Amino acid sequence: MEAVGLDVLTWMVDFLSGLFVDPFFAVARRPDKLVQILIQGVSAGVMYSLIALGFVLIFKASGVFNFAQGIMVVFAGLSVVVLIEAGVPAILAIAGAVVVMIVMAFAIERLVLRPLVNQDGIILFMATIGLAFFLEGFGQIIFGADPKPVPVDALMIPDGKIKVLGGLLGKPVRIYELDLTAAGFGALMVAAIIVFLNRTKIGRALRAVADDNQAALSVGIPLRTIWVLVWSLAGIVAIFAGVMWGAQSQAGFSLAVLALKALPVLILGGFTSVPGAIIGGTIIGVGEKLGEFYWRGVMGDGVEQWLGYVIALIVLLVRPQGLFGEKIIERI
Amino acid sequence: MTTSTRRIGDTLLKLEDISLSFGGVKALTNISFEIKEHEILAIIGPNGAGKSSMLNVINGFYHPQEGRITFRGQVRRQMRPYDAARQGIARTFQNIALFKGMSTLDNIMTGRLLKMKRNFLWQALYWGPALKEELEHRKVVERVIDFLEIQAIRKTPVGRLPYGLQKRVELGRALAAEPDLLLLDEPMAGMNVEEKEDMCRFILDVNDEFGTTIALIEHDMSVVMDISDRVVVLDYGRKIADGPPEEVRRNKDVIDAYLGVSHEEMAAE
Ligand SMILES: Nc1ncnc2c1ncn2[C@@H]1O[C@H](COP(=O)(O)OP(=O)(O)OP(=O)(O)O)[C@@H](O)[C@H]1O
Ligand SMILES: [Mg+2]
Repeated sequence: MEAVGLDVLTWMVDFLSGLFVDPFFAVARRPDKLVQILIQGVSAGVMYSLIALGFVLIFKASGVFNFAQGIMVVFAGLSVVVLIEAGVPAILAIAGAVVVMIVMAFAIERLVLRPLVNQDGIILFMATIGLAFFLEGFGQIIFGADPKPVPVDALMIPDGKIKVLGGLLGKPVRIYELDLTAAGFGALMVAAIIVFLNRTKIGRALRAVADDNQAALSVGIPLRTIWVLVWSLAGIVAIFAGVMWGAQSQAGFSLAVLALKALPVLILGGFTSVPGAIIGGTIIGVGEKLGEFYWRGVMGDGVEQWLGYVIALIVLLVRPQGLFGEKIIERI
Repeated sequence: MTTSTRRIGDTLLKLEDISLSFGGVKALTNISFEIKEHEILAIIGPNGAGKSSMLNVINGFYHPQEGRITFRGQVRRQMRPYDAARQGIARTFQNIALFKGMSTLDNIMTGRLLKMKRNFLWQALYWGPALKEELEHRKVVERVIDFLEIQAIRKTPVGRLPYGLQKRVELGRALAAEPDLLLLDEPMAGMNVEEKEDMCRFILDVNDEFGTTIALIEHDMSVVMDISDRVVVLDYGRKIADGPPEEVRRNKDVIDAYLGVSHEEMAAE
């Protein structure tokens, strides 16, 4: 009896110290690892932010949570890969993918959004679920079901490793160039989107649509054009995500699930907030990588898979509107 | 007072036999009337009479099942919001429809969107001609802001403004489009006496200085009598009177309609 009690106690102590104490020793032992993980985390975070931004734009402009965003990433990534495999130069392949995504945006506006205008958000949401399944099936017909390697050389994406800070931290920090590229380009795209939203007349129109459809129509903002625009923008973001994520493993239909990683980011950042998407993405990206490395011992493998959701859940309990979302106050 | 200095011109908008229903509910039945250039037309009637529906038909939010709309000589079955805006129709809403997260300035700036010419690429660069254009539009907007005396709230997000000021900003957004026809859905609802007086003054000044044609919905009869050139009265989706204010006030149908409603209202309270 006593022995069992003691066992449980030791296990508890081990577990808690594994969670809250050991990581600090690990950091002290190998500070280089921490830096490396932070960089990986930020890089993953930038990608999440970008995808989340795609969600936020669409959510703001057409009031729909776009379940098909993940499959759009797959479509975009595979378009680039297939075009390059067919011998098209990389730059044209990317241009081709842009065209594909814009055509898709037009088709979605015409066939899905327009017939459902003024319907409840939940109906539009279900429509995007249908859309996701359709695109999955359609995509497998066009691209085949097998994942394809991304030709990083043709795309001139560096995928080596570089070592830095050797003298400072004892051991040099190993950085994947892929991570750096993703973070750099991603940050650039995020910045471009923000400037676009805040500085251009189209950005202003977009914010207006997001705020009040009726009022936007009354000042002559063409709602449909705006919809096509945001879906195209989300599509272009998807190209980048498809290629970069594809480069880390392979471009295939499993990437669609990765895009749903943006969900905890949205919960964290609030569905309507652009800064929220960015900061939320970074928190989730860094949190995941830290958890994966330092808590693997006590939690087992795959921490990365669910930690983001746990972080989001905790935030949800405290602030239902997310860290940055507008506070939901029902007018009575 | 201003009536003497303005010339009321030709027909700007003509509505013929407009009928609109939602499912079984007939919101408008066989309505015809005209709006003439430079006039201030008041549309009045009890709650649910179809006044807002009428404005929504004019700027294309609602599409009537029957009837014809002639605007500037062009005959249509129905308007569309984009075309209406493009052709110089601006409006405000009964339940304020502002862009709540944006500042007063940005809200009014959206009224200029259709007037901006520079294309996407210039805009994206936000440079050179596009910047110059933006500044020109800013000037117009600043004039509107001065006109409505809302300089103090230029940078305030409109969601934080009191109701009366929001109504004013909404008018500003409509004015920024430099419309030929301005539709105002209960511009003075929920305002105190002082705010109402200000709003009346703005409406009269707009009409007087810019010759803007105005169609407005209003419940306050003293306001209607003061500012309108002509009054159209709706009741249960039908037009029951159309004429100068004094004449309409003496109209028996109108008196009946209003007496009926005041009973209902008392019963409701
Ligand atoms: N979008 C809609 N869907 C269904 N019914 C509508 C709609 N808009 C208006 N109606 C109906 O049409 C009728 C006229 O409504 P409308 O809003 O035009 O009245 P109103 O004269 O503006 O009233 P109020 O003074 O209360 O603003 C009402 O019975 C209303 O319920
Ligand atoms: Mg009304």
